[in-house]
Amino acid sequence: MASSSEDVGEGKLDLVPMIDCIMLLLLFFILTTKFSTEEKTITSLLPTDKGQAAASASKVEPPQSINICIYPAGMDKGHEPSEYQAQLDAMRAGGANTVIPKAWLRIGSQDPIEINGDKLRQKGGEQINTEVDMIHAYIFKQLEGFEIAGDRKAQNPVIINCFSGLSWKYALVSYDAVRAYEAEKSGKKYTGDPKQFDEAREVDFAPPRIRDYSAKELGEELFEIVHMK
Amino acid sequence: MAFAKKKKGPKLPHAEVELDLVPMIDCIFLMLLFFMLCGRISLDQRTEQITVPPTKTAAKLKDPNGWKREIVNVYGSTQAGSPPRNSIRIGTQTFMSEGTNNYKGYIALRGVLDKMYDQVEKYDDPKPTHMKLPKCIIEIRADADTEYRVVQEIQQVLSDSVDPATMQPRKGVTPETARAFVNIDFTTRHPGDQ
Repeated sequence: MASSSEDVGEGKLDLVPMIDCIMLLLLFFILTTKFSTEEKTITSLLPTDKGQAAASASKVEPPQSINICIYPAGMDKGHEPSEYQAQLDAMRAGGANTVIPKAWLRIGSQDPIEINGDKLRQKGGEQINTEVDMIHAYIFKQLEGFEIAGDRKAQNPVIINCFSGLSWKYALVSYDAVRAYEAEKSGKKYTGDPKQFDEAREVDFAPPRIRDYSAKELGEELFEIVHMK
Repeated sequence: MAFAKKKKGPKLPHAEVELDLVPMIDCIFLMLLFFMLCGRISLDQRTEQITVPPTKTAAKLKDPNGWKREIVNVYGSTQAGSPPRNSIRIGTQTFMSEGTNNYKGYIALRGVLDKMYDQVEKYDDPKPTHMKLPKCIIEIRADADTEYRVVQEIQQVLSDSVDPATMQPRKGVTPETARAFVNIDFTTRHPGDQ
C-alpha cells in the first residue's frame, strides 16, 4: 500500500509544537520575571532598661550626646516654628503623602550636607554609591572630632534625630554610617550576638516627640531639630 | 523551480498525518516541574513592591536555633496607590498608619503582637529588668520612602512602652507584664545591588 511504503523514518522531526511551547514559556518568563535584590539586615536591640523613659521625648537630651540632625533641605536656622511649618506645607503641596525629595544632614555646628533622596532609591549604578559614600565620609569626619579617651563603650552616645515626615532611608543610612565607623574603630564586625551591643557605643534613633500628634506641631518639631546642638 | 512545482502538485503526502505530541508533552512536563519547584515563591512574605534602603554594614545572619522571625512590611511610595504609603503589612493583614493623629492601625498591630508573644518561647532579659522577652526577631522591612515616624512608632508599639490607642506612655505596665519585642532587624541591601 502507498502509506506503508512511505519512508517516514527519514522525515524531519516536526518542530512546530515544540517551538510553540518554547515561545509560550519564553513569553511567560519575560512577563513574570522580576529580579529581586538580595536583602540583608541590620540588627538593633531596643533598650529594656530605660523603662518609660525610652518612650518619653519630653526629657531633655543629655548635653554630651552627639546629635545627628536630619531635616528637609532648605530649612535654615533662625526662623519661627510657624515659618518652618509653612515651608513644610509648601513642600507637601501635592498632598500629605508627598515624598520630600532632599534632606540636610548635620552634626554639631557644622554646615549641613545635602542628600538627594532619589539617588538613595536607585538600584545599582554609580550615583547611589557616591551618595552613600558621601554620607559615610561626612559622619566619619564629624565623629572623629568627638572622640574621647576610653573604649567604644565610653564614647558619647550617638542619637539620630530625623524629622518624622522625612523618608526612612535617611535615618537608616546614617545609622549604618555610625555602625561602619564603630566597626572600623573597634575592629570588630557584628556577628549576630546581642551581647555585642553591651560593649558597643550607644547608637539610638531618637524617640518620637510625645504629643497629641497633630500636623500643626510639625513646625515645632522642625524648629527643634534645625536648632539642635 | 522546485518551489513552483510543489505548489502545482497534488496534496502533500503528509497532510493528514497526526500531529506529533511528544515535544509538546516534553515542554509541558518542564513547565509542570518548574511550577512545582517554584510555586512557593508566591507564599513569600517579601513583597516585590518594597525597595529597601541601601547600607554598607548589613549582613545576612542566621537566626539562632529555636527563634522565630516575623516580617513587618511597611510600604513606601513605589506602588500605584495600593496599599498606600505608610501601610503596615504582616502576613496577609494590613494596618493603616494614615496620619499624624490616627492610631487605629497600631491598636490592631498590638493585638497581633500580643498573640504572637503568647505563641513563642521566652527568655529572661540578661539585664536585671525581670522582663520575659520572646525568642522572636521582628524584621522591619520598610520601604526607603516610608515616613520615618511610622518606623519609630512601630518600634514603640513593639517595645510595649506606649499605649497604642493614644501613643502616650503606657500606664500600669510592669516589667513582668510587658510584652516587649526587642530584637529588631531592619531590612536593607547593598548600595551596588540591582
